[in-house]
Amino acid sequence: MEKKPEVAGKTTPLETLQDADQMLRVPAPAPLVAYPLEVVVPEVRQQTPAVGQRATRPDGRLHGLGQTKYIDDWYFPGMLFAKIKRAGVASARIKSVDTKEAEAMPGVMAVITGKDIPCNSFGPSLKDQPVLADTRVFHAGDGVAAVAAVTEQIAQEALDKIKVEYEVLTPVLDPLESLKLETPGVHAPSANIYGHKVIKKGDVEKAFAESYRVFEGTFRTQMVEHVPLEPHATIAMWDANGRVSIYSTLGRITLGRADVARTLGIPMSRIRMIATIVGGNFGGKNEITTEPALALLSKKTGRPVKCTFTRPEEFYASTTRHPLIMDYKTGVTKEGKILGRKIRLVLDGGAYCSWSETTLGKACILSAGPYNIENLYAEAFVVYTNKTMTGAMRGFGAPQVCFAYESHMDDIATALGIDPLDIRLLNAFEEGSTSPTGQKLESVVVKESLLQAAQRFGWNANGNGKGNGAKS
Amino acid sequence: MKRRGRGMACMWYPIGFTVSANPSSAVVKVNEDGTATLLTGTVETGQGSLTILAQIAAQELGIATEDVHVVSADTDTTPMDTGAIASRTTYVTGNATKLAAEKAKLILFDVAAPMLGVKPVQLEAKDHKIMVKGYPQRSVHIGDVANHARLVTGEPPIGSASFNPHTVALDPETGQGKPFGTYVYATQIAEVEVDDETGEVEVLRIVASHDCGTAINPMLVEGQVEGGVSMGVGFALQEEILFNKDGVQVNPNLTNYIMPTSLDMPEVEVDIVDNYDPTGPFGAKGVGEPTLVPTAAAIANAIYNAVGVRVTSLPATAEKVYMALKAKRSQAPKQIPGGGAQPQLGEAPSAGN
Repeated sequence: MEKKPEVAGKTTPLETLQDADQMLRVPAPAPLVAYPLEVVVPEVRQQTPAVGQRATRPDGRLHGLGQTKYIDDWYFPGMLFAKIKRAGVASARIKSVDTKEAEAMPGVMAVITGKDIPCNSFGPSLKDQPVLADTRVFHAGDGVAAVAAVTEQIAQEALDKIKVEYEVLTPVLDPLESLKLETPGVHAPSANIYGHKVIKKGDVEKAFAESYRVFEGTFRTQMVEHVPLEPHATIAMWDANGRVSIYSTLGRITLGRADVARTLGIPMSRIRMIATIVGGNFGGKNEITTEPALALLSKKTGRPVKCTFTRPEEFYASTTRHPLIMDYKTGVTKEGKILGRKIRLVLDGGAYCSWSETTLGKACILSAGPYNIENLYAEAFVVYTNKTMTGAMRGFGAPQVCFAYESHMDDIATALGIDPLDIRLLNAFEEGSTSPTGQKLESVVVKESLLQAAQRFGWNANGNGKGNGAKS
Repeated sequence: MKRRGRGMACMWYPIGFTVSANPSSAVVKVNEDGTATLLTGTVETGQGSLTILAQIAAQELGIATEDVHVVSADTDTTPMDTGAIASRTTYVTGNATKLAAEKAKLILFDVAAPMLGVKPVQLEAKDHKIMVKGYPQRSVHIGDVANHARLVTGEPPIGSASFNPHTVALDPETGQGKPFGTYVYATQIAEVEVDDETGEVEVLRIVASHDCGTAINPMLVEGQVEGGVSMGVGFALQEEILFNKDGVQVNPNLTNYIMPTSLDMPEVEVDIVDNYDPTGPFGAKGVGEPTLVPTAAAIANAIYNAVGVRVTSLPATAEKVYMALKAKRSQAPKQIPGGGAQPQLGEAPSAGN
């Protein structure tokens, strides 16, 4: 800081003037820098071998400094903002969509509906999902129109000006109801069961007859959301050569590009799909959502178009975890050895297939648990309901079936008076065990993980959870 | 009164897609200064997969992790990849990366062999050098080899490769076949405290013992486990999307859909089980999804152990546990009030041996 002259006579008039000038000067804003200069860039570490190192992530530094640019942080000249009109009814026939009033609003640059999508269906296995619903609404989060406007607020206001007339239909909401053949089809005329899987090994009924005791249990799980920190976001830019660049939060760009090419009816070589840093996926960003609609809005307006999901949209317009209803029946010996197990799983598939086939398969294969079971019958169904679509989510059905088989296991252990650790060690897979699908398993460490966790926890056999002695 | 309980759950989980092909490809280029560039179509979604891939490429080339720059997730520049799904990146994309790095390395060996006066098969890549096996003093810096390849022999060290897990289709009637390349295993043990007056459950501690084959980066494995546990705690106790009778969600926001925050997180103790899978890159498998699989089951078993009620539907909210406790009390034989004999709710149901 400037020092005031202590003795006026010692300072020349020029210096005094300069000093006064300094005092009056408004402080200059801090210079803009691309990265904080006071932070020293780390030295490149040269450790080899690389495998096994607790290497820090190069992106961690940017996250920590708040410098990571997510799609919502990006802006391109002339960029428009898009919003999607959501149906808000679980099941309905669309009688008409009137977008005139919205289109007439100042600042609204384009409005599209399902009829504008060249091929209005996509999906990782069954192509049963529309980009924007055109004739039917299958769940409340379905989009029925998309608006691009110069600001997000105008786009939001324009949504209220879009008039959609619905013929509301009775929704199918209960998966067990949906399982019945007489229930009207969500995607009529086809039945609601759209996936079925069976795993059969040995003779279950014979095993039950030979069992010391047979246990039964029914378990249910709920629908949950992935809740990534970063919601779905996309920027689409159509260029004069008819080539579109799509910045997206997708976790699978190669297949996302194929879906966009199919829905838009353009060659894949004309699509550039870029996934930047994605702020959490957990399975929820494994398929396209609004990408084709944004590409069309960009084509129509000749400007880049961005859409970021709101948090509510993240809940009702993206995929969720399958709720499961799981019936277990297990026959055991007096010592707790599992002789036979029969399982029925019903997956609530929601309005569209999405990743249900994979979830069905994994849930069915894994449903018996990591145990040697000679006699097994596992059957799984996935059904349509008029609820939010269920799809890929961390674990693909495994957390649900694990809740069932492990709860069931403890019920059996309690009834037989066996420690939960012992009954698991008795039945667990070991190296070379055969899986329910007949696969010979390698690098199996179920018992090791059980014993290691028990030792770390201080699990002792007398069951009060407060002991320190490790059980081995 | 608050009662403590413990519960365990173990699980198995496959790596990659069920039967169907899920290939990954990768391109590795060794630069003239001995650093490398890896091109991959997979997407970093926060899990640190690009760091893992850099470590795999670095290990194969004998250089350091930070010498590898990863270019990812652009369909114009990066090769095909099935993506960040099914816990497959370390195993599938990792194998493709290792194979691509190996191809680039073999070019370096061809170039280095005459420089060192030996055959290519006698060479190894280690510690930023291409050296004669067993004779570390006879070596040349990897950058010099790459530069020599560009300036003298005209063979830039670039390798590309693909990998797809080996599977066998399932029989439609019996479901027999080989649906996955490999599996991982894990156990989690939960310690909970249940308030038997309110039904409120607090998770105090989770011990998570996970198999992921070789841990390419133990710190990232721990990160995955801690994240998975938080998701599992939400699945077990709090989170649920609710619908009204018309099928419209009633809580699509974070004020009514309650996620666990840092205050809800138990103490997590991560244990990596020593393992090696010969089919994985340097013995690695994967760990992303399995980390949350046993959490809810372990917590449910711990609630049972604490207060003797079996929660058969998730989430085990305070209301649900309270109602189950109430139902249990009404079934319990009537006690004479004031006699000091209360229903023994905290009695561990598994008496042990």
